[in-house]
Amino acid sequence: MNAATLSFLGYTGVLAAIGIWSFRIVEKVPIQKYEQEFYAAGRGLGGVVVALIIAGGLASAGTFIAGPGMTYAYGYSWVMINNFQVFMNLLLLAPIGIIVGVVARRVNAVTYLDLFKARYQSKTIIILLAVLVTFFLIPYMATQFVGAARVISQMTGMGYLISLAFGSLVVLVYCVLGGMRGTSLATILQGIVITAGCIMLFIGTVHSAGGFQRSTEILAAQDASFLSPTKNGEFPPAFAFSIAFMTGFFIVGMPHAMLGALTYKNTRALKRGIWMGGIFVFLWTLLLCLSGVVGRSIIPDLAVPDEIAPWLAMNVMPKALGGIVLAGIVAGIQTTVAAMAIIITSSIAKNVLQELKPDVSATTTKAASRWTMAACLVLAMGLAVFQPKLVQWIIFFSIGGLEAATFGPIILGFNWKSGNRQGALAAIGCGMVIYALANTVVPGLRLWGMHPSFVAVTTAVIVFVAVSLLFPRPNESVIQTFWGKNVPG
Amino acid sequence: MKWTEDPRAKVSRRAFLLAWGFFSVYLLAVMAASYLLGIKPRLWGLPQWVTIGNILLPAGFVILLIIIVEKLIPDVSLTDDKDKPDAF
Repeated sequence: MNAATLSFLGYTGVLAAIGIWSFRIVEKVPIQKYEQEFYAAGRGLGGVVVALIIAGGLASAGTFIAGPGMTYAYGYSWVMINNFQVFMNLLLLAPIGIIVGVVARRVNAVTYLDLFKARYQSKTIIILLAVLVTFFLIPYMATQFVGAARVISQMTGMGYLISLAFGSLVVLVYCVLGGMRGTSLATILQGIVITAGCIMLFIGTVHSAGGFQRSTEILAAQDASFLSPTKNGEFPPAFAFSIAFMTGFFIVGMPHAMLGALTYKNTRALKRGIWMGGIFVFLWTLLLCLSGVVGRSIIPDLAVPDEIAPWLAMNVMPKALGGIVLAGIVAGIQTTVAAMAIIITSSIAKNVLQELKPDVSATTTKAASRWTMAACLVLAMGLAVFQPKLVQWIIFFSIGGLEAATFGPIILGFNWKSGNRQGALAAIGCGMVIYALANTVVPGLRLWGMHPSFVAVTTAVIVFVAVSLLFPRPNESVIQTFWGKNVPG
Repeated sequence: MKWTEDPRAKVSRRAFLLAWGFFSVYLLAVMAASYLLGIKPRLWGLPQWVTIGNILLPAGFVILLIIIVEKLIPDVSLTDDKDKPDAF
């Protein structure tokens, strides 16, 4: 057993211990408060944890594996494209964080669909969104497990399936046992490991390449387009612009990012969550992306570009440190999976169950939460067995689909009094149809080479406004709950 | 029931506009620096557009964000009960 495997085993052991510890905390909570503890960690998370929950949840294998993979394959153009995600925490918490914090306490919402229920008062919207979120997040989770398994396999030399089990079972342990409490505790450890891993990988890679000057000269000799911001026209400004919208303005449509808005303790935590998130995502993104492109000057002929980060960790660094870097990459993936698992579980085991069976007991909800979470994770692990090759494009597909469905109903629903359930339903339907068409039979909808999510989201927003104006405003109780000083009794 | 807007709704709207305004400026600055600065000039051994547009500018914006968020978003209570100790 090599040093890298040992350091990774140590990290996994601590995660499992966190799962058991948080299970004891959650089990001590009275059954009446179980949902708030399991899904929202008692609504008492501080700034650092909020920053890491959102940043770690949104920065997935797309950042930790495909980020350096894309810069390895396409050069510095993708450093710029990835840099547009730096302010994800700001673009989630500032537009809706305060209103979500206030309303969640008023209506005792612990899941993001509780908020939709309070805002739109529509069973159809709750069930529709639960289905869409599950549809888009399960494959997304599967790609995360694939990324983690490939990293572990490279590090330990174990087969893919054993690596898959190794990387994913521990997530199952701390998510199912500890819910959001376990996830938040694990996220602190994972945030430290991710950040340390990124810094070490960057220093090791630049040192091994002989510095930036030398690596730039080698890249220029290999292919001058690696130094171009558009890779000589392959990624035009319109494409970069649409990705900036997808990972920037539209990010509020990602349901698993809403966890941070539902769980923060007070506005001090919210503000720290915003700017600390900026620091974390900036460091992770920049250091990994630069490592990817500089890594090309060290090894120019990797068959699978996504393998550059693990390759660098195992070849340019001492073995024990390489293990920490790889643990950091896997940790970044695990935080995303955990956040998604919480969101899918809350959608199905709490919201859909309560819509279909309003008199369900707290004990049944508790059991359903754990069984649903275990089932989701096992299903994602099952899909990961098939090893999709184009991980980054599946991730973009899922992000775009979620945003097309939820961006309008969230951003306008929480900021515009006249938005109503008819507008929300029309926006979800329209966003899905446009997105499906642009991805299949009408590729012409990808205007000027943009990602299809841009057209789908903007059309859905226009439809939301137009349809909402055709129907009456929501009732006074909804408007008072969301924006009024006098809360309905 | 008489309509009176919760003052926190105004704070929330201002935070929303602040975030979108901030990101719009960031987006324009990064794209302008990346597409207008050339490949040839090197700074710290990297193409100038990378160093300025993708290292220095984002780092500057992250620092600016700390100041803006701490100065311009006020602390507000999240509960309607002002007696609660964890209101802020």
